[in-house]
Amino acid sequence: MFLTLIRRELLDNLMAFRFAAAVVIMLLLVVANTVVLIKDYEGRLTDYNTAVKTHRQELRLESKTYSDGMLSFWGKIIVDRPPNPLSIFNTGLDKRLGNEIQVSHIFTPTIWDANKHAADNSYFNIFTSIDIVLIFQGILSLLALTFAYDAIAGEYERGTLRLVLSHPVRRGSILFAKYIGAMVCLLVPLLMSLLLMLILLTTFATVSLSTDDFLRIGGIVLTSLIYLSLFYLIGMLISAITRRTSTALILSMFVWGFLVLVYPNMILTAVDTAPQVDPEPAAYHQIKRVWDELERKRDQFLRNDAVPGEGWGFDLVDVEGIDSIFSGWEDKPSRLLYYTYVGSEFETIHEKSEPYVPHAQNFYGFIGPLTVNTVERTWLIRKPALETIYVQPANRGRMLLKFSPAGLYNATTEAWAGTDLNGIQDFFIAAQRYRQAIVNYFYDEKIFASRQWFSSDQGAVDWDTLPQFSFQRSDIGVNAKRALPDLFLLLTMNILLFMAIFLVFINSEV
Amino acid sequence: MWHITKRELYDNLNSLRFALTTVLLLALMVTNAVRYIREHPKRVQKYRDAVAESMNRLTAHADASLYTLAQQGPGTLYKQPSPLHFCAEGGETFLPDRVDSSYYTERFWRLRYPDVNINMMNVGPDVSQVDWTFIIGYILSLVALIFTFDAISGEREHGTLRLMLANSIPRRTVLIGKFLGALISTTIPFMLAVLVNLLILSTASAVHLNIQAWGRLGIIFCIALLYTCLFLALGLLVSARVQQSAVSLLILLLTWVTFVVFMPSTLASLASGFSSSMSRDEYDERYGQSDAELRRTWQRSWYWADKSELDERTLTKIGEWHTKTAVREERLNAGYVTFKINQVQRARAITSISPAVLLQHLLESFAGTGLDRHQQFIENVQRYAREYREFVVDMDRSDPESLHIMGVREGMSQKPINPEAVPKFEDTRNLSKDFNTAATELLLLTLFVVVLLAGAYLAFVRVEI
Repeated sequence: MFLTLIRRELLDNLMAFRFAAAVVIMLLLVVANTVVLIKDYEGRLTDYNTAVKTHRQELRLESKTYSDGMLSFWGKIIVDRPPNPLSIFNTGLDKRLGNEIQVSHIFTPTIWDANKHAADNSYFNIFTSIDIVLIFQGILSLLALTFAYDAIAGEYERGTLRLVLSHPVRRGSILFAKYIGAMVCLLVPLLMSLLLMLILLTTFATVSLSTDDFLRIGGIVLTSLIYLSLFYLIGMLISAITRRTSTALILSMFVWGFLVLVYPNMILTAVDTAPQVDPEPAAYHQIKRVWDELERKRDQFLRNDAVPGEGWGFDLVDVEGIDSIFSGWEDKPSRLLYYTYVGSEFETIHEKSEPYVPHAQNFYGFIGPLTVNTVERTWLIRKPALETIYVQPANRGRMLLKFSPAGLYNATTEAWAGTDLNGIQDFFIAAQRYRQAIVNYFYDEKIFASRQWFSSDQGAVDWDTLPQFSFQRSDIGVNAKRALPDLFLLLTMNILLFMAIFLVFINSEV
Repeated sequence: MWHITKRELYDNLNSLRFALTTVLLLALMVTNAVRYIREHPKRVQKYRDAVAESMNRLTAHADASLYTLAQQGPGTLYKQPSPLHFCAEGGETFLPDRVDSSYYTERFWRLRYPDVNINMMNVGPDVSQVDWTFIIGYILSLVALIFTFDAISGEREHGTLRLMLANSIPRRTVLIGKFLGALISTTIPFMLAVLVNLLILSTASAVHLNIQAWGRLGIIFCIALLYTCLFLALGLLVSARVQQSAVSLLILLLTWVTFVVFMPSTLASLASGFSSSMSRDEYDERYGQSDAELRRTWQRSWYWADKSELDERTLTKIGEWHTKTAVREERLNAGYVTFKINQVQRARAITSISPAVLLQHLLESFAGTGLDRHQQFIENVQRYAREYREFVVDMDRSDPESLHIMGVREGMSQKPINPEAVPKFEDTRNLSKDFNTAATELLLLTLFVVVLLAGAYLAFVRVEI
């Protein structure tokens, strides 16, 4: 009996006009947008490759001393964030946030210190961006509701429900049969469009997907399925309560409009989640004080060393008698970034300056580790302060969005794709680790106190001996861990809705 | 006909959809107003402070000498925030709010157009603000469809259509009656929501809307009605052609989602892929080339010389060099920004297939936000820059002690200038000009409505009962 019911539901749905419409519209939208999105991804990949190449070349061509590579105002050691191929599914923050960051021992790299490749036309930002998840979010929910609105109400109106119930069949199995029949039908457009998408993705050679990526796509598909089922159940509940198809249809449309379209935008308009940047934050002054301490220690060191005076030039000059010392500072209260540095860069050193070289080595050997130490101390202040200013309001916004299934779906797929804030943070954590590796290398090789730190007269720095940066996106396990809480929430909503429908349906008179 | 309209109206007023629409629109409009009251005073204050600072600097330059005024330029020029920001947000956060005039030691000022990357610091989720464009473009159009999807197919299902047509009323009267009924019943909740919105805004002391702003609001309201008509006509057309109301709604919704929600962004990304953009690096390269060319043609033996010992001919040459470099660089900057804006304008033109985009452009034009407004701002700035330069030349000419060599301290008037006399930058907007930029879009929207209405009429005339 159960199978008969399912077969009936399947046939009913498959023969309906809405099924054909669903398939056609899904295929059209997904294919058109996939092509556009792949093109966009390719463009970003090219930008990334160009940037990596230029950054490598610039470092090797222009920086002869460690001082110059690590300190100069337009930092030379720059690591680039590759675009995420799964941003085709859910763009998330992948496109918006910075994708190149300077690595230097004088500050801890964070998202807020990053820059963007200077490639594209910034005016294009006025257009809203689109991705596959956005299409699914809008269309799948709509289709699910159009399949569901007459599931129960329609049978009431036609009187067929009375007929079915006159057979020895439990009400629960009728509900189940309806659910399974409709879900199988709804799966067809979803899977077909995904199949076409994957075919397109694999034909473009530039998009290389690893095994993990396919598993992540699997996660996205699973989430889409649960999202689809959630909206089908919402429609069914409306259908069971209203008992009239016309009312159910209109109510479903309003519920759809509210959950998918209105709520996410309205809540974030009503609650301000933009970063609250204080022009003179307290943490910033604290950081500045720590750096002042460094400067005091530096001056003290210079006063007590063998060379008279407090200058840090040590009368070093090159053959033509010109001194190439430089100093600078960065002062960005909005991102709590402050540091000062001194350095020098000589291609040759005059004979008469030679006696001063050990003094300079001694000084840089002192100031380098002291700077690293200061950066570590300021990081303890800066990290929580940045969290309060930027991350907390953002997370509050995200939390509010999760009250709508559409927001929940978006957050989950973002976590699977690795384009959420955590995924982007991973890159910057890798950059921080890379900075630590360089600093450790400097300690091990005693580079701060070396002659090459400030002079290339005995040969330029071989940058290839430095530890190399590599970034691997977190593995599927981490993605799953980030996605599962929200997925679980979606699933719970499903179960609750099913129970509600069951209760309503059991208690209703035919 | 009035009878039919009245009947439709009564039908709709008592329906669930009417109540839901009213609640939804009211909630959105209240959110919009509250947000605006919170944000707008801050925006205006920021603008005023910035302008005041710019003004102070200009006064200081004028007090120094005409040369300082001529060399350092008018300072940073700011875009005036629109009081109708709540109607159309217009992607203002992605557009620069100022044009700089920069100078270096000795070198003359030139206009520079900054880029913005405001959003890079914000790690929050993407949002589109709830402004009138959103409310009208998405919600009101959806409501219009929900009010009309069963206008004809529903009657046919119930059998009342046959009854109605049995009377001696021509079909077009029936159609017009239905159209008007639906129009009035969508307008009532919308009008109510707009009223509440404006009421909240007018109670806030920090918000002042002048006569012109109210006029613009009136135009925006009419455009909203026209846009609603478009979707009502579409609803009637599909409803007349399709047998079942459920199918009719499905078709309408899918069309709506495609054209209103997805088409704008898909077409924009598509169009941005078409034309290769000139990157910042390329621009820098061009800049370097033109700089090198200038350096080649001008033997600048005087560069390190003491200017007070040079003769008048050399001074003239130096002056020419300074003016030339400034003019050239400014032209390059202007060309670069125009190139970028034109590229985006082309993409915008392609997206105009979607009526929602048409509405967005129209609302932006009349609210004074968005890309068109930005272009206007840049034109204003450029006009002002010309005025400013002419003023400097005129003042120099009126000083008999000056050698009238522009661009060199020794060749120009050293007298201080009355700060009042210096032209001030005014970022004006002009309603007739806005009308001109919007005319094509307005026409297109009207055309859409007419075509769809004609389609609905033809479909209804051919309906078999």
